[in-house]
Amino acid sequence: MNLRVVGANLVVSLKCFYRERTAMFFTTMFPILLILVFGTIFMDDDNLHYNLCLQDLDQTETSAEIAKSLASTGKFKVIPVDTALEATQYVKDNKENLVVVIPKDYEKSYTQYLLYNDLNAFVTLRYVYDPSSSSVLEKMQLLNLVFATMNQGLSEKPPFIRTVQESIHTRKYRFLKFFIPGIIAMAIMTESLFGTVQVNTELRQKGIIRKLSTTPITRTDWILSGILHQIILAVISTTLMLLVSYAVFDVQLNINAWLPLFIVLDVFTFVGIGMILTRLVKEAQSASSAANAIMFPMMFLSGSFFPLEMMPDFLQKFAKVLPLYYLNEGLRAAMVFQDNGIALSNASTIGAFAAVVFILGIMVTRWEEGK
Amino acid sequence: MTKEAEYAIEVEQLTKRYGNDLLAVNGISFKVRKGEVFALLGPNGAGKTTTVEIIETIRRPTSGNVHLLGMDVTKEKRNIVPCIGVLPQGFSSFDRITVRETMLYYSRLFGGRNDDIDKLIALVNLEDKANEQYATLSGGLKQRLGIAIALVNDPSVVFLDEPTTGLDPRARREVWDVLLGLKKEGKTVFLTTHYMEEAELLADTVAIILSGKIIAMGSPAQLIERNADYLVLTLQSVDENAFAVVGGLGFEPEQNNDQSLQVRVEHMDDIRKILNAMNEAKASFVSMDVRKPNLEQVFLKLTGEALHESAGGEKGAQ
Repeated sequence: MNLRVVGANLVVSLKCFYRERTAMFFTTMFPILLILVFGTIFMDDDNLHYNLCLQDLDQTETSAEIAKSLASTGKFKVIPVDTALEATQYVKDNKENLVVVIPKDYEKSYTQYLLYNDLNAFVTLRYVYDPSSSSVLEKMQLLNLVFATMNQGLSEKPPFIRTVQESIHTRKYRFLKFFIPGIIAMAIMTESLFGTVQVNTELRQKGIIRKLSTTPITRTDWILSGILHQIILAVISTTLMLLVSYAVFDVQLNINAWLPLFIVLDVFTFVGIGMILTRLVKEAQSASSAANAIMFPMMFLSGSFFPLEMMPDFLQKFAKVLPLYYLNEGLRAAMVFQDNGIALSNASTIGAFAAVVFILGIMVTRWEEGK
Repeated sequence: MTKEAEYAIEVEQLTKRYGNDLLAVNGISFKVRKGEVFALLGPNGAGKTTTVEIIETIRRPTSGNVHLLGMDVTKEKRNIVPCIGVLPQGFSSFDRITVRETMLYYSRLFGGRNDDIDKLIALVNLEDKANEQYATLSGGLKQRLGIAIALVNDPSVVFLDEPTTGLDPRARREVWDVLLGLKKEGKTVFLTTHYMEEAELLADTVAIILSGKIIAMGSPAQLIERNADYLVLTLQSVDENAFAVVGGLGFEPEQNNDQSLQVRVEHMDDIRKILNAMNEAKASFVSMDVRKPNLEQVFLKLTGEALHESAGGEKGAQ
């Protein structure tokens, strides 16, 4: 063994690594980025508290005790809901995932149970919830624990406080149904962004674009064929994802006209961003690092994997400036809830964004070597 | 529309500046006749590629006029592109696409027919490799494919930007064979190169460019004739004392690797003088050779003078 040779080789390896920007990114920046993203998402985990919407139809001192008991656990921040409102509609309109409804005769039943020892007396609190939120289950479990403790404190008798769950949707949904559209939106984003950035920068670096600029192919032809290429890939990958979800997990999603529209909007959005990146970043390796830097935060902060309500407020607000958020929401509205109104509003937002970035992308894409 | 022009390429007072500092091409003018092979010869960074890329419509000039087949390159790109074939410097293609598929792709860009492709593949001797992917080809084969692509639209003018740079001598020969074939066909070929041998072998006209300026132009023979004010005498397998004999006459003999002596002389009388002295000193040699200098020696002389002048000029200006 020759230590000088080993040393020389080590120096060259380190230099190669340092100069290989993609490797640098994945080894250094990527884990840091993940720590930052997840750290921010879970930073409040130690003193995690939930917003809890509570509709007290009884409006008595006894029923008010429930709100106080829930708040005293330190796990809930109680938000009172107007008694005139319909709980299901409130959840939908305010994008909350749960409203707990205290029934009108709460104090009456309580008196009967406690003072008159009526073992048959009980109240049923309604959990009106949105099953598309994965964190709502945890929230309901915690509530059940609180109510079980309250029941135990009351007596050894059969439980006074009982609960019933009512989904805001008439049909039952599984979390996977919400997960798959998010994955579809994310996969199309990845293909379109990376496809555009890598192909364009690599072909430019290799001089193929220069060669093509001496043929009749125009910049418009080139961009159009790139878009078609990405749409074909997106259709193939979406079809595969839907087939696998159906075959392996029996997830049945609604396939309607919104799906191709959102696929096309997804492609245009990220091909547009890709074209802008290609213009800004000259080298292929740096361009893919830049694409990673855009893609990963978007992946985790747009609600593809994690429900947004798990994140701190400022991140939830931030999510709403990310294009992937609207694609996730739109695809879920179309494929899960068949809610044309929400699908349309998300399609309009992302459509406008796609138009802007795509036009910008076309404007900054250079075909000739310049003036 | 293309008007009938006497020259394939006409360049007048062409200047190209990058930013404020770099003057890549400095007011050059030249004309290329139809059917001739024109070589722009110069060291790296002399302005060859910038010049050729302006004529190919890839770059825009800062000032000056450039016409290709009578069309202004800054205004008629759409009409010019179908008339030209380009092998760019450092040509590359899609790694995972085969030779035939690549040819078909470029042919389709020009709206060509498939049967032309096989003729071109045969022209550059790539029939055996037609179904091989680009990434698997050697450097020479890649360049030959690049030349075939440049011919896919049957262009009137073919541009070859350093077609043999980076190739080994054998691969270079193979590319030259293809280029000689083009010359025979009567194609107008615009060649940029820094290989003198290549220019001397292929070109009808050579323009030598240095620091963005053309310092000499003419046929290889003319350039040699104009600038060769000496002869080169070579004596093969000489005795060791031959160097002392020739040196004693006031010449500066050089020893080649193959035990031969090479010396620059001005007149035929000098040769006679050397041979007589060798005879008197009984210094033997096996054979002798008298030649005019080649293009490389002329190039070195001209560029050396030009560099010397510009250095002198700069000094003087200081």
